[in-house]
Amino acid sequence: MIEIRGLRKRFGTVEAVRDVSFSASDGTVVGLLGPNGAGKTTTLRMLSGLMRPDAGTIRVDNADVAADPIGVQARMGHLPESRGLYPRLTPIEHIEYFGRLHGLNGPALTARANALVTRLGLNESADRPVSGFSQGERTKVALARALVHQPRNVILDEPTNGLDVMSTRAMRDLIRGLRRDGCCVLFSSHIMQEVSALCDRIVVIAQGKVAADGTPDAIRNLTGRDNLEDAFVALVGLEAEEIL
Amino acid sequence: MTTLPQIWVVFAKELRDGLRDRRSIRSVLLTAALSPVLFGGMFTVMAERAKDAWEVRLPVAGVEYAPTFVDWLKQQTGVEIVPAPADPEQAVRDRKEDVVLIIEKDFSENMARAIPAPVKLVSDSTRESARKKVERARRLVTTYSSQLAALRLIARGVAPPVAAPVEVQEVEVSSAQERLASQLNILTLLLVIAALTGGMQVAIDTTAGERERGSLEPLLLSPVPRWVLATGKWLAASAFGCSSVVFSMALTVNVLRRVPWEDVGIRFRVSDADLMSLLALVLPLVLFLSAVVIFSSTFARSFKEAQGYLGILILLPMLPGVVSILYPLSNRPWLAPVPLLGQYALAADVLGGQPPKAIFYILAGVSALACAVLLLVLVARLLTRETIIFGR
Repeated sequence: MIEIRGLRKRFGTVEAVRDVSFSASDGTVVGLLGPNGAGKTTTLRMLSGLMRPDAGTIRVDNADVAADPIGVQARMGHLPESRGLYPRLTPIEHIEYFGRLHGLNGPALTARANALVTRLGLNESADRPVSGFSQGERTKVALARALVHQPRNVILDEPTNGLDVMSTRAMRDLIRGLRRDGCCVLFSSHIMQEVSALCDRIVVIAQGKVAADGTPDAIRNLTGRDNLEDAFVALVGLEAEEIL
Repeated sequence: MTTLPQIWVVFAKELRDGLRDRRSIRSVLLTAALSPVLFGGMFTVMAERAKDAWEVRLPVAGVEYAPTFVDWLKQQTGVEIVPAPADPEQAVRDRKEDVVLIIEKDFSENMARAIPAPVKLVSDSTRESARKKVERARRLVTTYSSQLAALRLIARGVAPPVAAPVEVQEVEVSSAQERLASQLNILTLLLVIAALTGGMQVAIDTTAGERERGSLEPLLLSPVPRWVLATGKWLAASAFGCSSVVFSMALTVNVLRRVPWEDVGIRFRVSDADLMSLLALVLPLVLFLSAVVIFSSTFARSFKEAQGYLGILILLPMLPGVVSILYPLSNRPWLAPVPLLGQYALAADVLGGQPPKAIFYILAGVSALACAVLLLVLVARLLTRETIIFGR
């Protein structure tokens, strides 16, 4: 359960996030949709507690991120924009390192790491250092280490970026699986099909503001367009005209 | 979960990662190997010089003018008389000879008339390497002269001491061990360099490297206090630094025990206890130095940038080393709480055969640790800065 109210963030003279409010409840997938530079990543960074908002509140499972960032991080699995790995460690070692940082250990950790490796299809390369991995494999390792502690809230920043068709499908299956398990999934994307295929709700962000918030159907109705992509263009374009 | 196991988790991961990094292993081995090579080389050269000065090969011109003198010279131990080059002054200037003795034509005549018989000693005083040889040659001439003088006085019925109203008695306050210590201080310098560079690779890799790879943000997303991360990384870098110091020490001592000390006229008397004392000084210093490296490379966005900062930092341990060569730091144990300077001062006393009291070791160690902790607090603060977390 994630609740965001009146979020603002300014970098120098640039107002990256002006006024963002939305919520995501358990067992649903919420898509954060917006063009590049709309403020999606900044919003997610504030949600993770690594960036302090200028104004607004963020609550995860009723805990305030600003008051207890570490407590919130323990309940959250976050695939951030930067997915750097340790080139000399294997996928299993990555997963186990982050598992231990989350307080897991022993057979439970080993079982969890093996389960993730299997679920993400990393079995063949599980014991090889990640230095020679493809973009898709890297994303999988980064995802596995974010999910090692079985978080109830999962935040994915452009999870299918750089993935091929098969990996994208696997990612979608994984997100659906998380929803079935009752997780609250929030992911950002600028790809329309992805959002329409997966999301229970869509939050459209443009120019640092929420332009629309609702089910895919509701958004289509709002703009009077049948096609979600047209609806998106209409929403984002509207904002741009207002600015001009 | 308590923080202690978390520190261990970070430490264990960085240690494993570092051990797989060829560059960090190489930096440990290289610095460890560098010092004994330098040190052994230096002392071997010193020993060779001392030997040279004793076993002097002395070119003499005008041998025919003073056969008795030359015979006497030949009888002196370690002296070999060879014919002088045609132009002695040019030969010395060209560094073909270190020193040339020229016996003048009227040597025998003057000798017979008991007026000073002239000899010339050709040397170049700017040549440090020839200094001992020249001294030895001059001493040979003055010894011959004073022996002859004594004989002349006796022949005239005068007791030789009458002609020596004042006698200089040299009182050397530094022990042979202390004189050696001034050279051995380089051992401290080399150990400190090993302490700094041994863990440097790991320190950079776990801070600037983490930023460069983009793995810092994911790491900071785990529910671990920043100071725990900083401490784990610091301990890993320190472990590398410590092993580099121990390694370097073991190799250097091995080399030192093989140096021909008897030729320099000194017995190598650095005991195992002294070496342990040095370790007790330098190992806590590793904690401070790796904290310095971690702190400064946290500012760097990349490995290269960090190395740029550290290029300046590496001069730091040399500074007290250079100072201690010009201005001895021995007998100044109150310097103990000043990191680096304190270690150099105490190490100078250890090597000088006057080990400081235990309290000074504790003072030096505690002070180094306290400075390290302060730096780690600052690192933990830096890791909350958005410009550092997201600035790539």
